[in-house]
Amino acid sequence: MKKVLYIELENCIGCRSCLAACTQCGGHEERNRNYVIDVNPFVDRQTMPMMCLHCENPPCARSCPVQAIQVHETGAVLSAMTEKCLGCQNCTIACPYGIPKFDVEQNLMYKCDLCIDRTKDGIPPMCASVCPTDTLQWVTEEELAVKKSQFRLSNGMMASMEDPYLENKTNVHVSLPGILEGKEKLF
Amino acid sequence: MNSEVKQTQPSIQRAFASRYAMNMFFTILILFILSYVGSRMFTHMDLNLYGYMVGTLVFLFGLFYRFLSWSERPPAKLMIQKGKKLVFRKRTAQTTTNDIGLQRFIWNRGLYRWFQHMMMGWGVIISCFVTFPLVFGWMYFTMDDNGFYTVVFMGLNLLTISADGFLAFLFYNSLNITAIMVITGASMAIYRRLKNMQARAEQTVIFDFMPLYMLLFVSITGLLLTVSNVFFHGFLQPELSLVHQFSVIVTLIYLPFGKLAHIPMRPLGIYVKNYREHYAKESMKKCKVCNNEFVSTEQSNDVISVLNQNEIQFKKEEGFHLAELCLPCRRNYRISKFSGVKTHLTKAKEANQDARG
Ligand code: SF4
Ligand code: SF4
Repeated sequence: MKKVLYIELENCIGCRSCLAACTQCGGHEERNRNYVIDVNPFVDRQTMPMMCLHCENPPCARSCPVQAIQVHETGAVLSAMTEKCLGCQNCTIACPYGIPKFDVEQNLMYKCDLCIDRTKDGIPPMCASVCPTDTLQWVTEEELAVKKSQFRLSNGMMASMEDPYLENKTNVHVSLPGILEGKEKLF
Repeated sequence: MNSEVKQTQPSIQRAFASRYAMNMFFTILILFILSYVGSRMFTHMDLNLYGYMVGTLVFLFGLFYRFLSWSERPPAKLMIQKGKKLVFRKRTAQTTTNDIGLQRFIWNRGLYRWFQHMMMGWGVIISCFVTFPLVFGWMYFTMDDNGFYTVVFMGLNLLTISADGFLAFLFYNSLNITAIMVITGASMAIYRRLKNMQARAEQTVIFDFMPLYMLLFVSITGLLLTVSNVFFHGFLQPELSLVHQFSVIVTLIYLPFGKLAHIPMRPLGIYVKNYREHYAKESMKKCKVCNNEFVSTEQSNDVISVLNQNEIQFKKEEGFHLAELCLPCRRNYRISKFSGVKTHLTKAKEANQDARG
């Protein structure tokens, strides 16, 4: 059954388990490919994860001169193919969310591949597997639909769609802070 | 481009159905002329090798097709146009030595991978440089009675070597040596893919193992030919020769389309490096939020234009395009969109994002 990565931003407590787990995924060579950002560092401790959102029309891949970034049939936008990437870094400039990382020594871009060796078989990606607060979830389309229906609040805060929250349609779905007000949480 | 070229180009192009046809025509013409000259008017063509010749032509068709359809994509087009102009920079020689010759960036990915790739890479390249001139008659050997070989290259007597000297040994055995190099490298690569769980996660049978098996197939059958000749008086020689020819031709036809396509494509890495170095010196782009320089102005503009051609616009109401922000600011800007807090304007350095595995 097709599952998608779904992010509930406000749950994040900044434990950075997702970063550590990312390093352990096959093919990641012990380097993480995701981010945890301090929202308002001088005021409070709120953090939010920043992941590749796996754009439906990925600017990183569109800007790559050698088609080193492939889109998997599951919709995951893969990391650069090692033998193709020429190290121009166009992708890092094109990504609207600042996601691809670049290794200057190896002359190679690397980015989140949604743990493709896991997710292609329906196993959750590393980050979602370890997230202790359900910020990162691996849900079926039905579960996602239920979530969305719960969010039919008047504030329209489901950021799975376009502006102003996101730049484009993405395969990863994000719900903005504040959405679940009035809902009981399970953790 | 000067005006003269501009004027003549369309009329030449009009004579052909497509640029593809034109490029193919001229390549074959050049090959033909080179063979004519090289083999002293076709008097020294080795007709045993004609299967390879056909294979090479099919390979060229594939390569041109692949290259042309690829080079029409906006980002490729830009990189090729600008890279072409910069190719005579001083640093080109150094970049070529480091990136193509020594493959330093693979060294930085690990000694094992570097060694395996040097073996395979140079094994294949040297084999091509030996085989193609032989197939097209650009190079051949003549032997006089005095125990000396004359190496003829492009119709010129290049050098005369003693038939039992060291150089002659290298000439006879060059393909055996490269075969051993390729077998070593390819075996190491297969071993790594089977043993190393990380490598295993990324590989697919067709895309990653096939080319390795093909290289092995070519090298082993080639080496067996020598073994048959030297140790078994040419036992099964015609059959082996046919199998080897088959293996080479199949590999040549596959080459432009699979993983091995990076062999003819990789030299473009030199364009890319020149492009990055040259324009970085010219002027650096300052991030519209934090003012740090993060990429050349040229590249930032190029990416914006490439995205535009794909109908992707990231112009923001703040007056900047997202490609004008450095990466940390771009991430913070998104968080600000999510949270409503002006994260990107907070004067704090982004926390360390590298977890230790
Ligand atoms: S750095 Fe590599 S993956 Fe990124 S655009 Fe350039 S060639 Fe493509
Ligand atoms: S979020 Fe960035 S890296 Fe991920 S698919 Fe989109 S453009 Fe590519």
